Amino acid sequence: MAPSKKKHASGQTCVIPGGFTVLSLQFSPDSPAQHKLCVKEHKVRAERSSHRPMDRTLFVLNIPPYCSEAVVKELFSQFGAVQSVELRDHPGAFQHSGPKLATFFKPAEKKGFKVGYVIFQNSSSVSAAKSHPLDVPLVVSAGQHPVSTGVQKWIQQYRESFIQPDKLQQTVDSFMQDYDKRKEEEVERQKREAEEQQEDEEGWVKVTRGNKGAKARPHSEAANQRTLQKEIVKKKRKELMNFYTWQHKNTQKEHIAQLRKKFEEDKQKIALLRAQRKFRPY
Amino acid sequence: MKYHKKTSQTSRSTMKRETPHAEDTEEMIPSEPSHDEEENVAPVKAKRSKPEETEGEAEVFHPVKLSRSDLYRPPTAEELNQLKEAESLFHCSLLKMQMEELLREVVLSERRKQQIDCFIQTVTSLLQTVPRSPEVELGDLSWLSGAVKVPFLLIPKASKGKFHMAPPASVNLIGSYPLGTCIKPSIMVDLAVTIPADVLHPKDVLNQRYPRKRALYLAGLAQHLTSSSEIGTMRYSCLHGNRLRPLLLLTPPGKDSSSFTVRVHACPPPGFFKPSRFHPQRNSIRTEWYTGLSKSQPESSEPPTPHYNSSILGDLLPRAHLQFLSAVSSQCSAFADGVALLKVWLRQRELDQGTGCFNGFLASMLLAYLLTTHRVSNSMTAYQLLRNSLNFLASTDLTVNGISLAKDPDSTAPALADMHSAFQVVFVDPSGHLNMCADMTACTYKQVQHEASLSMQFWDDPTVDGFHALLMTPKPMIRTSDHVFQLCELVKLQSSCKKLNLLSELMDHSGNYIDAALPFILSLLQRGLDQRIHLLTHSLSPDPEWSVESEAPKHKAQPPLSFGLILRPELAASVLERGPPADSPKAAEFRQLWGSHSELRRFQDGAITEAVLWNGETSYEKRLVPRQIIAHLLQLHAGIPESSLRYVGAMVDDVIKMGHEVPSTGEEQSLKVVQSYDDLSRKLWRLEGLPLSITSVQGAHPALRYTQVFPPVPLKLDYSFFDREKISRSLVPKEGKPCPAYITPVTVICHMEGSGKWPHDHLAIRHIRAAFHISLGELLSKQHRYACKPCPSHLDVWKDGLAFRIQVAYHREPQVLRESVNAEGLLVVRDNEDAQALEMATVHRPLLTSTLHGLQQQHPCFGAVCRLAKRWLGAQLFSEDITEDTADLLVASLFLQPAPFIPPGSPQVGFLRFLHLLSSFDWRNNPLVVNLNNQLTAADYTEIKNDFMASRESLPVMFIATPKDKKLSLWTKQAPSVQMLQRVVMVAAESLKVLESQLMDGNQTQDVRVALRPPLDPYDVLIHLNPKQVPLLSQAVDPPAVKISRGVMSGNVAQSGGALPVIDYNPVSHYLAELREAFGDLALFFCDPYGGTVITVLWKPKAFNPVPFKTSQMFARQVEVTGEEVHTVPNIEAILEDFRVMGKGLVKSVEPRTERWAF
Repeated sequence: MAPSKKKHASGQTCVIPGGFTVLSLQFSPDSPAQHKLCVKEHKVRAERSSHRPMDRTLFVLNIPPYCSEAVVKELFSQFGAVQSVELRDHPGAFQHSGPKLATFFKPAEKKGFKVGYVIFQNSSSVSAAKSHPLDVPLVVSAGQHPVSTGVQKWIQQYRESFIQPDKLQQTVDSFMQDYDKRKEEEVERQKREAEEQQEDEEGWVKVTRGNKGAKARPHSEAANQRTLQKEIVKKKRKELMNFYTWQHKNTQKEHIAQLRKKFEEDKQKIALLRAQRKFRPY
Repeated sequence: MKYHKKTSQTSRSTMKRETPHAEDTEEMIPSEPSHDEEENVAPVKAKRSKPEETEGEAEVFHPVKLSRSDLYRPPTAEELNQLKEAESLFHCSLLKMQMEELLREVVLSERRKQQIDCFIQTVTSLLQTVPRSPEVELGDLSWLSGAVKVPFLLIPKASKGKFHMAPPASVNLIGSYPLGTCIKPSIMVDLAVTIPADVLHPKDVLNQRYPRKRALYLAGLAQHLTSSSEIGTMRYSCLHGNRLRPLLLLTPPGKDSSSFTVRVHACPPPGFFKPSRFHPQRNSIRTEWYTGLSKSQPESSEPPTPHYNSSILGDLLPRAHLQFLSAVSSQCSAFADGVALLKVWLRQRELDQGTGCFNGFLASMLLAYLLTTHRVSNSMTAYQLLRNSLNFLASTDLTVNGISLAKDPDSTAPALADMHSAFQVVFVDPSGHLNMCADMTACTYKQVQHEASLSMQFWDDPTVDGFHALLMTPKPMIRTSDHVFQLCELVKLQSSCKKLNLLSELMDHSGNYIDAALPFILSLLQRGLDQRIHLLTHSLSPDPEWSVESEAPKHKAQPPLSFGLILRPELAASVLERGPPADSPKAAEFRQLWGSHSELRRFQDGAITEAVLWNGETSYEKRLVPRQIIAHLLQLHAGIPESSLRYVGAMVDDVIKMGHEVPSTGEEQSLKVVQSYDDLSRKLWRLEGLPLSITSVQGAHPALRYTQVFPPVPLKLDYSFFDREKISRSLVPKEGKPCPAYITPVTVICHMEGSGKWPHDHLAIRHIRAAFHISLGELLSKQHRYACKPCPSHLDVWKDGLAFRIQVAYHREPQVLRESVNAEGLLVVRDNEDAQALEMATVHRPLLTSTLHGLQQQHPCFGAVCRLAKRWLGAQLFSEDITEDTADLLVASLFLQPAPFIPPGSPQVGFLRFLHLLSSFDWRNNPLVVNLNNQLTAADYTEIKNDFMASRESLPVMFIATPKDKKLSLWTKQAPSVQMLQRVVMVAAESLKVLESQLMDGNQTQDVRVALRPPLDPYDVLIHLNPKQVPLLSQAVDPPAVKISRGVMSGNVAQSGGALPVIDYNPVSHYLAELREAFGDLALFFCDPYGGTVITVLWKPKAFNPVPFKTSQMFARQVEVTGEEVHTVPNIEAILEDFRVMGKGLVKSVEPRTERWAF
């Protein structure tokens, strides 16, 4: 196929410096062109997360936009049973995303190329995937599992955009209940903290390192700035303007300097425009 | 497919495009094959400073940094004076310097003057050697060799008298050149050749004998000069289009031939004729001679020939005028500069050339008048002279109160009243005999006055760049007048003269039927159009020029006469012309004017009056009522058939025409949408049972401000065309059928009352909003039977055959999005994109919509201009870069800041000015201030400008400031980029050129759509779409002849009920969005949103550069291994395949233009 890989005989795996194996992928069995996926076992020193077990996770680069998680799962199950698939816009650490959201409240996903973390059930599947030969392409839309794209997909999307109002209402209600509960807990926690700071019978106050800090200082940046502003205004008010002769002289001097500056600026503007031939009337 | 993989070095070199711009890595858009237009384009270069961009640096304005010692050193008296003068005389010293610079550009250089002097000397000495010829009869032309013809139309042929050639009595320079008021371009040097007295006879004044001798004399000179090699080209022309005063044009030989022209005038010896012979009441052409019929009449009953008289008198006086003017100018040091400025001002308004123009000579005379009458002082600067002359012109009506330069005219000189009765405009020369404005029509003078008063207005307005408005912006008729029409077959005017009974005028103008008929046609039109227009202007027929070897061209050979109308928008479109009551004496006059069209009508107020009713249902037709009037009047009174009338009022409107039975440009449809929206908003306000009340309902869609290119039309749907959704029974597009008609959702923002119950968390707010959408939908469907579709982000409502998309908003939500608590527990407010986008959608856009809606109420054609502008942007594939809101703002600026014009009164002229704005505005150095609702003061302007200058580098390339947005230019933040703006500027200039030349020239193929067909050759890949799946196909620039069924029926539209149709389903936009998301960093995608069937793709210039392998940059790429180094390059074949896969069913074919690039 590609000249750089000609040194590999057909039927061989193609491993590039950096440890990635190149796999080829095509949309349908008769597609004339192939995408090149790069796969490697997931290995990150910093991350010790149970979501991506090191030995069983395959890191896949360059997944085309028409491959959903289900499609990727199907594609890689030829190397062994797949536990789960995670698709991301960019490689990066696993992130917890707030409270669980219903599908239709999730922010719209980007439909571009993705990176994927395929978590197999067995660690042997990872090496199986890594030794897959280059010239046997993975096929996205094969006979039994056709993947719909284009008009078909958009009609399907339009169909799916209908949400039953009562179902939507239910989601909203459950989320709000959840939210209220969290709020209540928060309030509860703050109350408890406040109580802890009260004097006990013997008159002792327990000083803790709360993450909220002391009440005395302003709680928001805006408030900080307001106080600062006030200080400045106070200072200003105390000043006297044009009171002494030297002050008056300075004002006049300042005025001339301003005029001069303006003059210079205008001159420069003109020079600039002249350079651009902006004074030709026709 | 054969696939050559190249090493990293060669792959770049093969990527080079075959355009001259291949080297320029910043150049994203390859330019079109024709490069000539690029010179006209203002250099819009260098946005954010990029390291490799050095050529742009010189043009960037950097605020000056003066050292402290420079700024605060003690001023000298002279410097102080200079600073003070600049401060008090001018808005700023900038204007003064600008004027100086301008003068420097237009005055003649020393080198050029030397050239001229040298050439004049040669010509003079050549002229002195003209040989004598024997005396012959005047009619005998045999002494002329065949190579040179007489520059005169010899009608009637017979004439008495004798003629012979003789060396000139003297040769003198006259006119602007010796006076020092001659300016570039088209430098004309006037040379007066005095015909020796023995050639002439004092009685030659009669019956064109003198003018004929004069023409013969010129022919004789021409014949003499043909043999000389020191003359470049020789042509004939005539002075200000007056055929009685032919001229000989000489140019120097060689490469200087186009740099200046010498005009040779032949003049009688000074004082040869008595000036009193040329009194405007006297006759100098006998009817008997002119008509050839012998009808012996006493001389006293002959009609006066004032124009003929003044044309001969004009020949007598040029030397005296020169003396007078040089005397005046020697008194006033700035005289020459003042005249030069005035000439530039006139030239930009196309007033300084042609028959009856306000020429440079008049300009000097006007200034002389102001100086001699002490209206201006001798010590004034050029700038003040210009200002005072404009002020004088604006306030003095020379058509009623003529002025005279004569100090103490002799008793034989005509009185001003005599002048007024003979001429329309009166300005008498120092001798007291000549009216210098003899050929000027009242309309031309009114135009001068109008322009002068407009200019004064702009001058006094500190928010307008007066210099540009007055002296730098050309005002061609097509861009100035709202409607333009042309009389194409001028020969028809001959019969008009007969019909209007203009024999004596014809005699006076020596057979020039155009000049004879014009004043009558103008006054006829003025009467007919009356209140409908501000101003009627006409083109000044250019001076004909012809070679010395050919006969003088006939009058009909002139280019068509163009007339311009500046409309009063509120009255111009009225279909009714209500006349006087039937019994009043004026009724007869009214009937005479309108002929059979005038009918007696009874009105609702009980009055029975004469009236004329014109046709017109839609505003498109109503806008053309002036056309009906003009055609009717010209046919009725002047016998000019409609076929020779070319009306250029609404030609461009064609591209947004939509009605089937009645042609309309969408105003009525927009109104329907707005009415339906008003009804919806009332119903929303009245809804009961909502947990919180509604505080505002605002439209946020172009259709609600009359600027949607094709406003949504109420639709009735054919249910059998669709599938049904299972639960709600809503319609869903069927696979295998053509895409259903596109239904635009009209966005409506509905603000809810603030309350403590709103959560303080953006996710929770979104959920609450969804709950509101549900309950609003329930209430609307229960109380008004509207089909609704609630979604988390909006609620779609189907009403009157239109779809509305209601979005509930909570005013604190953007704030909530901005707030976050940092690690130290401090509440910080940080701006972010989500908050900005939300604020845009719920605050700025509704506000803009209502403001522009207001603008539409003031200017009825605002919406139509916006729609034309956006149609053009769409067709030229720019709608992603200049968004709808930006385009609307740009158009709004044309109405709010029209200088040097007045607000456009027709869509066409607005559109042309839009193109001109796009192509000529200096985006690099200026912010465009759109003063919506007139909220900005002069101080705000300065502030905006200063802020802009201070942080130019970080601001958007196209900076538009509005009262609510003075510093950021919200609407142009995302787009356009430098490269795209550059291209927009280029294409706009080209489109403007094509359109204007087509509109003003009836001989070209008339297809305004040429300006809307984008050139496809600069693009790398074309994706052709299946027309069946393009729902807006019928809006295409060239819509296909075959109609595709899209599930729409004709018939009345139900107000409510029915199944919810397919709303906002457009495969093309889905496809584009997916393409941009997937390949946005490799390529740009363009498509006409109004029925475009091709998506054009342009690879980014750096897309093909191999980059080192990185896990975050491996999208749609493949690896290349060279030794230990791994690089990646785009996998083009797979990408092209993806284009097909992702648009399955929509894409017809993908056409890679491999001749432009290789992989």
